[in-house]
Amino acid sequence: MEALSLFIKAAFVENMVLAYFLGMCSYLAVSKSVKTAFGLGLAVIFVLGITMPINWVINEYLLSENGLFQTDLTFLRFILFIAVIASMVQLVEMIIEKMSPSLYNSLGIFLPLITVNCAILGGSLFMVSREYNFSDSVVFGLGSGFGWFLAIIAIAAIREKIRYSAVPPGLRGLGMAFILTGLMGVAFMSLMGLIGN
Amino acid sequence: MHSTRQIYTFVLMMTTVVALVLAGLFTLLKGIHQKNEAVFTKRAILASVMPKEVKGMSDDDVISLFQSKVKQTVVDVNGNVISQDEVKKRRSIGAKPGLAEDLDLAKEKKQSDENRLFPLFEYETSEGKVFITAVRGSGLWDEIWGYVALKSDLNTVVGVSFDHKAETPGLGAEIKDNPAFPAQFKGKTIYNDGEYTSIYVRKGGAKNTKYEVDGISGATITGDGVAAMMYDGLKYYEPVFQKIKEGKLK
Amino acid sequence: MAEAAVQTKEPLFGKKERKLLIDPLNDNNPITVQVLGICSALAVTTLVFKALVMSIAVVFVCAFANLFTSLLRNSIPKQVRMIAQLVIIASLVTIVELVLKALNYPVYKELSVFIGLIITNCIVMGRLEAFAMANKPWRSFLDGIGNGLGYGLILIVVAILREIFGKGTLMAGSPVEMKLIGPNNEAEDIVYLINTAAESGIGSYFSWYANNNLMVLPASAMFVIGVLIWIQRSWNRKLVDIS
Repeated sequence: MEALSLFIKAAFVENMVLAYFLGMCSYLAVSKSVKTAFGLGLAVIFVLGITMPINWVINEYLLSENGLFQTDLTFLRFILFIAVIASMVQLVEMIIEKMSPSLYNSLGIFLPLITVNCAILGGSLFMVSREYNFSDSVVFGLGSGFGWFLAIIAIAAIREKIRYSAVPPGLRGLGMAFILTGLMGVAFMSLMGLIGN
Repeated sequence: MHSTRQIYTFVLMMTTVVALVLAGLFTLLKGIHQKNEAVFTKRAILASVMPKEVKGMSDDDVISLFQSKVKQTVVDVNGNVISQDEVKKRRSIGAKPGLAEDLDLAKEKKQSDENRLFPLFEYETSEGKVFITAVRGSGLWDEIWGYVALKSDLNTVVGVSFDHKAETPGLGAEIKDNPAFPAQFKGKTIYNDGEYTSIYVRKGGAKNTKYEVDGISGATITGDGVAAMMYDGLKYYEPVFQKIKEGKLK
Repeated sequence: MAEAAVQTKEPLFGKKERKLLIDPLNDNNPITVQVLGICSALAVTTLVFKALVMSIAVVFVCAFANLFTSLLRNSIPKQVRMIAQLVIIASLVTIVELVLKALNYPVYKELSVFIGLIITNCIVMGRLEAFAMANKPWRSFLDGIGNGLGYGLILIVVAILREIFGKGTLMAGSPVEMKLIGPNNEAEDIVYLINTAAESGIGSYFSWYANNNLMVLPASAMFVIGVLIWIQRSWNRKLVDIS
């Protein structure tokens, strides 16, 4: 039950994109069609779900004062976290290339972008600052990945539709995407009631 | 094209340089970091008594004021005083002296009631002694905490200072950001008509002016969290209050 | 080595160099045109002071990451290029974090995870890939500063709007804090009425103004940036999205 509520909290209430606005770069760049958004969303779920537990182990057993080296190595946290993320992204890239070349072609340059997706590193940093335990970090990773997936699918669907609307020239494309995301963020705020104590 | 050996050399050299630079900087700044952290806590504690003055004080002023005017005690849930040595034995706090300010209150909250330790600060002012207690609870997103200063009658609130980990800016975060919210607690009483009421945060405006304050619109859950924190948090101190009143503390 | 010899003949700060600094401020702004680095732009723009600290940090990281990458560009093996760049950025960010923690602890606390997120600020990574890997150190350094400033410019404009209309203050949290509009909360005996135009506003000029809470919420940053893009594109027609 605890896990379910954390999952819902991570996916809906504390949505990485719509509540914290993390991972916006690839969110805005890859949300022009639902198909590519879908692939990228899945990749983000996978990378978040796998990097969070690994980073949890690193943080707990290597970097903390009670860890392997018995010294406070927290100043290496950023470097190790990002290294884990970069290598996991590489792994996902290889897997997708093997499993679905067509998806690989359409995602193309965006895959390496996952490394610099703030949502991934942000997830790991939130995990540290909120002092999650191991199982929490797995659930939180999957939950926030799912939330990111939902958000990018939603905006991609809206952007596909809005292409046929009469938007003022200056707002076309990017400007509209920002305002839409803001509106979605306000809408998602009302989900706060879900976790009321 | 680079050979495998070149790659390894490059990676090895880069890691060594980076690790050395960062480790050096970390050791160099560690003392300042620890001092900053300590001053940050001290400011939060003093802010419950004099929120405005503490803003204008320099770090050294805060430290010297704390040293000269504030007496620190660690107590347990039964109101027994825990000595500094005992604190050091029971908690891994490194080289710190084991004073009340050294307690990691986030970790204390996770302890069972019997094992939990509570800080108590006594601050000498011109108008008499003020007792400062620490309370901790949860808001909407994450933990909220604060310090509650009581007059020597252990009933009237002198002031409070709140902080939070991740409340919504503009809504829940107002418990800290808007000085008018903590200012309402001044003069309220935690015992009313012979009963422990603590202080209640009422949505839509206080009804009983003796022990209720106005909630923040749009931040109901944070407000409820503050109310629960005030109720549970001060209740832990009841045995201590009893002992102080009987003159038996220590 | 031959390249270095040619470089010394060029002026140290000529037309091209100036373009590197100025371009990112408008025509090639990292946020509104290149769509990079928006993540951290939003969370830190509630207060101008926070945005200012963040901008300085990004200018520093961006400039030095560009410089170091450019210096190492010929010796970084292709296979580990990405990791090498990330290590450079992550170490610079760690330095920023350690220094900020020593200089101004309250701001460090406020910015918390967002300092770490500079690592994944796509501006930094984007400039390394697009510019520093192919250009000489001095130019890369200028390009880094330019892009950092372009980012900072948007951040501060957004923060000024959000802070004034959301809180009625300017530079709150810094030594030069100002109260511009709205009821004066510092007044001793003010009745606590949020979202209500309190009559008792003392000491500020527009005391009838009630703080607009929407401006403090993260979502408002999206609206403000969206409108900024609109304004910029109506004025700078060549940026309009034709697709």
